[in-house]
Amino acid sequence: MATSDFSDPENLSARERQALESLIKRLADDEFVLAERYTEWQVRAPTLESDLALANNAQDELGHARLWYDVLGDLGYTERELVYERDPAEFRHSTLVELPFEEGDWADAVLRSYLYDVAEELRLEALEDSSSPKIANRVAKIQQEEGYHREHAQNWLERLAEGESDSGEGHERLQAALDRLFPHALTIFEPCAPPRDASDASGDEPRAAGSDIEADIVDLGLRTATLEELGEEWLAIVVPYLESLGLDVPESGQTGDGEFEFEVTQETLPDERGRDGTHTDAWVDLYDDFTHTYRELGRSEPTKIMETPE
Amino acid sequence: MSSNRPESTETDATPCAYTEYRSADGDVAAELPATGADATGLESDIWEALYEIEDPEMPISIVDLGLIYGVNVAEGVATVDMTLTYSGCPAREMLTEEVEETAAAVEGVDDAELRLVWNPPWTVDLVTEQGKEDLREFGLSI
Repeated sequence: MATSDFSDPENLSARERQALESLIKRLADDEFVLAERYTEWQVRAPTLESDLALANNAQDELGHARLWYDVLGDLGYTERELVYERDPAEFRHSTLVELPFEEGDWADAVLRSYLYDVAEELRLEALEDSSSPKIANRVAKIQQEEGYHREHAQNWLERLAEGESDSGEGHERLQAALDRLFPHALTIFEPCAPPRDASDASGDEPRAAGSDIEADIVDLGLRTATLEELGEEWLAIVVPYLESLGLDVPESGQTGDGEFEFEVTQETLPDERGRDGTHTDAWVDLYDDFTHTYRELGRSEPTKIMETPE
Repeated sequence: MSSNRPESTETDATPCAYTEYRSADGDVAAELPATGADATGLESDIWEALYEIEDPEMPISIVDLGLIYGVNVAEGVATVDMTLTYSGCPAREMLTEEVEETAAAVEGVDDAELRLVWNPPWTVDLVTEQGKEDLREFGLSI
């Protein structure tokens, strides 16, 4: 399927460049924004171990965001432009990662991590044979670190859901978090821009380029699975697992014969979907938070740990 | 310093046989850990200089830690392929700049370029025998 050669980033067609940029921004923005949310749990998680674990996961996600943003360095972007000086409306992360945590709602953090990390695993698999060597070469490093995240989330999910069937507080909190988060988790698999014939104009100016970017991402071999395929695989993993914990999954997508179909309808999705540039109000607040110091100090570039030695 | 180097026969770690390593991020050394034991001339001098750089957190040479995947010199320009143990490594700038400057400061080298590579990913298997000894002395079980 790899019909395009991305090994020479200086000689990409406009179509190739746009597909690469759209794919990477979504990967990186997801990781970056999730990390920003995770850090809110620092010194607040329920145990010292879970505090360290989530802080470490946040650091992993920041590292992964940087690996992905670095790929855009080939297209002339800098970290400053991509993170601290980008208009918040230009971020393309799934709304799952931007939602605020209700105070003390650890079940939300754990469930969100699970929903995201399963999707992340599938997405990385579909990038292993990317036609962009720079993408393919980063996958193994990220996979090496992601494995722990899912293990951590599942350990906690099983503890919170345990016993008490439907009456324990942990179970109730998980169910409430699932009802709240599930529609937003589905936005992970939303196309990165409206299709060619879409009537509304949100997205990365897709019609200006006259192409369907999401189709290009697969046609050009940047990712070897479609979003629908990833979504179906995701449902086939998370639905049976969550049901095994005694949770009711809002829209399981399960057909009569036990297969999963990824049929997302307008009703199952939240109003804001992230991928098309629409975001919840919480995103603007979060953006203001993480750019606050940068703006306050009048910075013009990200800080380094130490000055460059003479 | 060369007396501190492990013999090439001690390199018991090999990259995954099932992974096809690609070269767009740089031609990754075929055999890891790379220690420069077989290097000659300027390249050997650069390896010697890099041996002097220690990990910021532990008393171990970054070469023995297995972070340097390759050193090549062409027309006076040194290219160092290097990885980090961890994608979120907070010492990234500090360490990569130090490596680049150290390589560039070697006599006969006009300029140095550092290529950060991530494939194959670093694992503890890439620590040399000398490195393992240093880490044990430091109090780590490895």
